[in-house]
Amino acid sequence: MTQNLRIALMLAPAVLVIGLLFGGALVVALLRSLDTGDAGFSLAAYARVLANPDFLPSFALTFHIAFTSTILSAAFGVGAALLIRGSGAGRGAMTFLFQLNLTVPHVVGAIGMLYLFSQSGSFARLGHAIGLIERPADFPALVFDPHAIGIILHYVWKEVPFIGTVVLAQMQAIGPDHEASARSLGASRWQAFRHVLLPLILPGLLGASAISFAFAFGAYEIPAILGASHPQALPVLAWRSYTATDLATRPDALAMTVVIALLSGLMLGAYLRAARRRG
Amino acid sequence: MKKRTTLALLASALFAAPLGARADTSDGASLIGQNWEAVVAAARGGTVNWFMWGGADNINAYVTGYIGGVLKERYDITLNQVPLTDTAEAVNLTLGEQKSGNTDEGAVDMIWINGENFRTMKQGKLVFCGYTSTLPNNALINWNNPAISNDFGVPVEGCEVPWSRAQFAFARDSATLSDPPRSIPALLDWIRANPGQFTYPAPPDFNGAAFVRHVFYFAAGGHGALLGPFDAAKFDVAAAKTWAILNEIEPYLWREGVTYPTSITQLNELFANTEVALTFDYDPAQFGIAVDAGRFPATVRSYGLTDGTLANTNYTLIPFNSPNKAAAMVLQNLLLSPEAQLEKARPTVWGTVPAIEMDRTPADVQAEFAGLPSHPSVVPAAELAPLALPELQAGWISAIEKGWIENVGR
Amino acid sequence: MIRDPWWFRALRGFAAGALILWLILPLVPLVIWSFARGWRYPDLLPQNWSLQAWEVALSGRSGVLESLWVTGLIAVLATALAVLIGVPAGRALGLHRFPGKAAVEALILAPLIVPGIAVALGLHAVFLDLGLTNTLAGVVLVHLIPTLPYMILVMAGIFANYDPEIEEQARSLGASPLAIFRFVTLPAVLPGIVVGALFAFLVSWSQYVLTLVIGGGRVLTLPLVLFNFATSGRNDIAGAISILYVAPGLVVLILTSRHLAARPAFAAGVR
Repeated sequence: MTQNLRIALMLAPAVLVIGLLFGGALVVALLRSLDTGDAGFSLAAYARVLANPDFLPSFALTFHIAFTSTILSAAFGVGAALLIRGSGAGRGAMTFLFQLNLTVPHVVGAIGMLYLFSQSGSFARLGHAIGLIERPADFPALVFDPHAIGIILHYVWKEVPFIGTVVLAQMQAIGPDHEASARSLGASRWQAFRHVLLPLILPGLLGASAISFAFAFGAYEIPAILGASHPQALPVLAWRSYTATDLATRPDALAMTVVIALLSGLMLGAYLRAARRRG
Repeated sequence: MKKRTTLALLASALFAAPLGARADTSDGASLIGQNWEAVVAAARGGTVNWFMWGGADNINAYVTGYIGGVLKERYDITLNQVPLTDTAEAVNLTLGEQKSGNTDEGAVDMIWINGENFRTMKQGKLVFCGYTSTLPNNALINWNNPAISNDFGVPVEGCEVPWSRAQFAFARDSATLSDPPRSIPALLDWIRANPGQFTYPAPPDFNGAAFVRHVFYFAAGGHGALLGPFDAAKFDVAAAKTWAILNEIEPYLWREGVTYPTSITQLNELFANTEVALTFDYDPAQFGIAVDAGRFPATVRSYGLTDGTLANTNYTLIPFNSPNKAAAMVLQNLLLSPEAQLEKARPTVWGTVPAIEMDRTPADVQAEFAGLPSHPSVVPAAELAPLALPELQAGWISAIEKGWIENVGR
Repeated sequence: MIRDPWWFRALRGFAAGALILWLILPLVPLVIWSFARGWRYPDLLPQNWSLQAWEVALSGRSGVLESLWVTGLIAVLATALAVLIGVPAGRALGLHRFPGKAAVEALILAPLIVPGIAVALGLHAVFLDLGLTNTLAGVVLVHLIPTLPYMILVMAGIFANYDPEIEEQARSLGASPLAIFRFVTLPAVLPGIVVGALFAFLVSWSQYVLTLVIGGGRVLTLPLVLFNFATSGRNDIAGAISILYVAPGLVVLILTSRHLAARPAFAAGVR
């Protein structure tokens, strides 16, 4: 058996599964979004989606959620990884809790955040107990709010351990020697990090961040639990359009998901190019 | 040669027999007018998938516990309750199946339904109809009552069977608000005087949409002119006033109307935690249930409005392509039975108004029903009934919903 | 060794404490709710304690235990499939160069980057025609989409650091291919398989949207049951279910804490 044939056979099941299921899903979504029911293809659904006054605000909100939470998670994730890597108290507990957090499903985290941060939640009650606030309305609006603060807090809570674990593994693989030699040459702690360690962990950091961004952009259950009634996050909007009784709106819902997939494809392309440039 | 054919026939008979005993009862026409025993026999050992709104735990408990239990014990039928956030999901499912040509293997055997969803299904020929007189307990239903024989203005015509009756009511904590506003104009004034203390779930939530309809009736100056098929001219006039009212009070709502609760459950959470001072529900029995579960304080009291509140009947229906029609019919008959309706009327279980005429039930059931305690937090149905407002036809309902989303929700 | 200044060490200690607290925080109200019978503002702790939420959650009629079983079954099946498909694919990507490798890599990574909702709706249309909607098999298949890439990523990283020379040597000594796999390859890559399998299991375990759309509410996994209870106002039952949902992960973590220590190989795979 030639080498190439063997490679092809090893890859075949994976390529088939992902190609057919994932690729097929996107292709079908594309075809049905172009389907006008009678004959021929038309971009009418896309025109309707882009003209839909709910679409752009939803897209902007969803991008804001994904972008802000990913930036924060990346920063705090790296910080947490540095914390755990260094010697000191609580290292075992932090590692354990990181791993525990990875096993906690998003739904659970979202519900927990709701109980913590709603205007009548645990923090509000704490505030009331120490006399800071009188009524629930005095507590800041962190959930069901137009800035999606509660949603971002949840994603940060869940993605910091994810990004942190990936980055920590890379740091441990790289070892302390690079930084140590930089510092012995007189570099400050910050300089050693910024110019020596950061470039080395950047590939892993970018990869984990890309995954986090994609998840935050496309998840349904978290904005369904913590989100405001308008504008809704894009996945919520898409699902609600899809399940509307008027089947004529289905091409619109599928067009929405194709747009979501296209945008993610652009992000993937950009990430791959950036990763390749770094070797 | 002959021997082999006989053997082959025998083999196929053996093969077919187990399948026949738990017959796929998708052929509805054959069940209509059948002897009830035959229907029960055809259903025995089967399953029924009941798609229904799952937003109230006590209802889920009654369905899966009491109804599911009796169904299994008495008829050996397995009840599979499928909870939904929105009944439209089940309608949608059946619609999609019809479109792909699925006529006898539907995923849905029964839906808890009324209003627009019923109209969509009836008009789309998605319903199994004409069988209701086959159900023995059909005799307990007063089909002469137009509120029962019409579902939001659409004639039922044997396509569905009632389950409960409901009338919209408001609730407040009498310990903090002893004198609530008791009419729509009084409510609007109260909202302006007490900013941040009121909100309502955004349509298409069922209860939120019902509240908006109350404001619509007020803006139209009464429902008299609105009964009958949808009239665009009348709608535009009343709608313009309604959106003006709702937009005008928006800054005085919870969160200044920037966001609305997305479900009645969320509104009830806000009410329970004193974020808002009023709540409401099409099913006032829920207030008693909530108090008993510790979700609401015991001082919660519910009340109707002096200008009336909406009343309707809710139903169950069987989709045209259900593969378990016999089992679904047995389930519907059970739901209509005096014992099941009595159990449902208990305040500790649900407390909702029966859809059957209790004076047609056996004497002991009637006596027990009359003796049911009323929950202090639940306004008695008899008190609300004189002020019952009829629902409009489904065309109005969907127009109001769409109009709210476009004019107020954004 | 440069000694850190005291304020730096104090800051680090404070940060560690804050991080630990922050990681535990959202789970606290869930635990409290599971033992409450009504817990209203402004009470810091419930006025009435009760085990009724646990009674309901653990009873047969609430469907919680059944969905726990279904969720675990789906996750095990999806993970098993992911291992079978992902290990050879990871080997191909990790060890070999070949024309079109970049395209294959992009295809493998794509499901991680394209949001689930985009895939779910299109897939629903496909599965509807194939008759796979509302079935357990359909849900297991669809769970492969997010789990397989993780598995392949990990295995590619493992194999990138793997020297096939050792297999050559074993073959030259007369070992059969099966023996080579059992005694040479497998032990070397097993830690990676365990890590990949754990990740795949977790992804399937907490999956919501794909199960909702393809399962149609008929395949009830734990996240769906939890979502339903939480959005129908039963915060107490939601709290109990949350603990049941998190408990298996916690138990596995405690038992296998050694295996899960951050692995350099995994990081190398996430290029």
